[in-house]
Amino acid sequence: MAAHALPARSPRFPILALLHPRKRSWLVLAALLLALGIGTLGVRVWGWPLWWAAALGLGLLLVPGALKWRDDLRRHGRVIMVLSILLAAQGFHTIEHTAQLIQYHILKWPPFASSGLISAANAEWVHFVWNWLVVALIMYLVRGGMRGMWVWLLLAWAFAHACEHSYMMLRYLEMSSELQRLGFPQLSAQGLPGIFGRDGWLARSPATQGTFLCRLPGVTTAPRIDVHFWWNVGEIALLLPAAHSFLRTHITLQLTIDSRQP
Amino acid sequence: MKQSVSAIFAVTLLLAGCGNPPQRAQVAPLSGPPAAVHVQSVALAAPPEPCTGVFAAHDLDHTTATPRPVARMFEGNGAGVAIGDLDDDGWLDVVLAHSHGAATLLWNTGDLHFRAERLPQHDTRAVSLVDVDGDGRLDIVFTRRLAAPSYWHNTGDPAARFTPELLPNVARPAYAMAWGDLNGDSALDFVAASYDAELLTAQGNSFLMGPGAGVYVYTRSGERFVPLQLAHKSQALTLALFDLNHDAQPDILVGNDFATPDQYWVRQNDGWAAMQPFSATSHSTMSFDSGDIDNTGQPVLFATDMKPYDKGVATLAEWQPMMSEMWSPVPLGDPQIVENVLQVPGATGFRNQAYARGVDATGWSWSGEFADLDNDGWLDLYVANGMIEAELFNYLPNGALVEQNQALHNDGAGHFVPMPQWGLGSARSGRGMAIADLDGDGDLDIVVNNLNAPSQLFENQLCGGASLAVDLRWPGSKNTRALGAAVQLRTGTAAYSRMVRAEAGYLSGLPARVQFGFPAGETPRQLLVRWPDGAVSQVAAPTPGTRLTITRE
Repeated sequence: MAAHALPARSPRFPILALLHPRKRSWLVLAALLLALGIGTLGVRVWGWPLWWAAALGLGLLLVPGALKWRDDLRRHGRVIMVLSILLAAQGFHTIEHTAQLIQYHILKWPPFASSGLISAANAEWVHFVWNWLVVALIMYLVRGGMRGMWVWLLLAWAFAHACEHSYMMLRYLEMSSELQRLGFPQLSAQGLPGIFGRDGWLARSPATQGTFLCRLPGVTTAPRIDVHFWWNVGEIALLLPAAHSFLRTHITLQLTIDSRQP
Repeated sequence: MKQSVSAIFAVTLLLAGCGNPPQRAQVAPLSGPPAAVHVQSVALAAPPEPCTGVFAAHDLDHTTATPRPVARMFEGNGAGVAIGDLDDDGWLDVVLAHSHGAATLLWNTGDLHFRAERLPQHDTRAVSLVDVDGDGRLDIVFTRRLAAPSYWHNTGDPAARFTPELLPNVARPAYAMAWGDLNGDSALDFVAASYDAELLTAQGNSFLMGPGAGVYVYTRSGERFVPLQLAHKSQALTLALFDLNHDAQPDILVGNDFATPDQYWVRQNDGWAAMQPFSATSHSTMSFDSGDIDNTGQPVLFATDMKPYDKGVATLAEWQPMMSEMWSPVPLGDPQIVENVLQVPGATGFRNQAYARGVDATGWSWSGEFADLDNDGWLDLYVANGMIEAELFNYLPNGALVEQNQALHNDGAGHFVPMPQWGLGSARSGRGMAIADLDGDGDLDIVVNNLNAPSQLFENQLCGGASLAVDLRWPGSKNTRALGAAVQLRTGTAAYSRMVRAEAGYLSGLPARVQFGFPAGETPRQLLVRWPDGAVSQVAAPTPGTRLTITRE
């Protein structure tokens, strides 16, 4: 009996093919169940803040993740491994934004408390660091050969998003300093509006008062949480076609069959 | 390429649409069975010289002071102010309530000179100037901090103008009140509502074990008032009569503090039915006002709440500790939001357009009132704000959240734009506020009852546009000032609508005299009055720059 390799061909859904944990599936499932179990106990019984449980979950999932990305590195090389990390992380980031949306719109938490799962630690730092990291990773991918209209749009979008987070970071640091001056170092300064959205710079700047700019539907009327949900949706929406077209030409599906010689 | 051009065109259209003024609707003339009137006309005074283009601030001889240097708890709520012609000399007088001292009556002797008279009436909150007994003279009614409303009857005798009397059958404490003909019998009724938090704090168990307070309708019946309790509890900071269901009859709105939702009742058969007409309401409602801000003949309702107007980090940091302290979980489906709301009627009911029109954030807003401050034909908005409370703001100097009152100009395109250049940004802690033409020169002046600082009169020196003032008299009825009447001024290009009301803003009273401002080039063609009983009178081609007294025959 001998295994006979057929000619390699592109998979129909290369992103799914890349993200599939394959032999690490059981490990992913186990990490997930363990995280859910310990996290639930932690929050319900031991009084952990939600972000501790979320951080533990991410930490546990990182183990099979690291093994899977090592496999990607061996199989496809460093650039595709980075793309694999970016795709997975953006997926988790979308969960974070969805959680914020639920907290704000359904649970009616105030903006400063609607900071998602992991961002409850510090939404401003988490999103500031994450968004500049995304820009850096996309630039690395561009350097590694991922090009095309979707990638350039993605880079521009991610850069604009990171710039808004920089503005918010600046305001956060200023606000924290003011709160400290008033004697409230423990108070959260998170959740301030950014450039866009309801009460954002564009909506409230004296320069835009009385012009169409301060009342553009969505752009200057949506709450910050919605604005950043859509920033993220945009990022995903551009990342997927960019990754699809890149992967279609750069990864192949190795199909093997048992080839029995008569 | 073709797609790009289309996209640019679409975006341009969208952007251009944002700045377009709404189309002027064809406002139907007021209609009803005719009522004969006679009209007296008095020329208004010439505009002030020089026209400075700003409001000039004058201190008034009254300070609502708290018992301690820094207010504690409800001491910080201050008191109201009301304007009306108490001695029928044509000049509007001013009454300032005082939550912890004597009220002041400022007799207007003309040209913005006032003679102060302290009234032996202490611890008052709201004040209204209404003809309670239908004798043709304006009386004074106060609500009091911990007791039932008090009534100062106008005797008409200059030597002893006011005597304290009882409002028969009115025994429950009230914080806010609103006067009008609520049952169509042409006699004045009123609604009063309590602020239970203050009563509980001051009276403790005796309030808990006693008959309580809440919301009452007092209907005039002969010489007495007949009370009807609508709610056993309330945290009312403000009350208004406003037509919620478009039946041309006043409905009742109670604006509650804290997380207590506002309450609404509409007249139904011979009683009152509770309703919830709004999908979003203010959270700690401090005042109501209404007005036809788009000149469509459809008044909107404005309610004030707390939201910083300045988004700078220094201001936001001053608010943050207090907001964190006060925040509590919001039940699912709760319509309350912590900002001003502007309820605009539409085909599917009311919609909050405060943010879209730029009036959602005016600070810790006590009184918000519409008035055409520059006589351009569009109602502007003025808001008195600020807060003093020792514990809530123990991290700020003197426990004071210092804010500037906000003047917002109606640009005629549906939006309100901050107008700091009008000089109305007083940083005193404003509470009650009333707007009227105190110097008879055809433009509207403003009086604010500040807390722990002298009250202020802001003299209008903008000198814009033209104006017409209208006083209604209905001697055949007990509602001698025709509260609830609608007045419509029609020019060649627009129709301006006003309601005759006794109250607006926080704890404050308006004169029954209504004021129309309009561009100098417009010619008034017709003035229509729909009296509270539905009859309609008309005055042809009223002269700009005059005050008309229209008396029903």
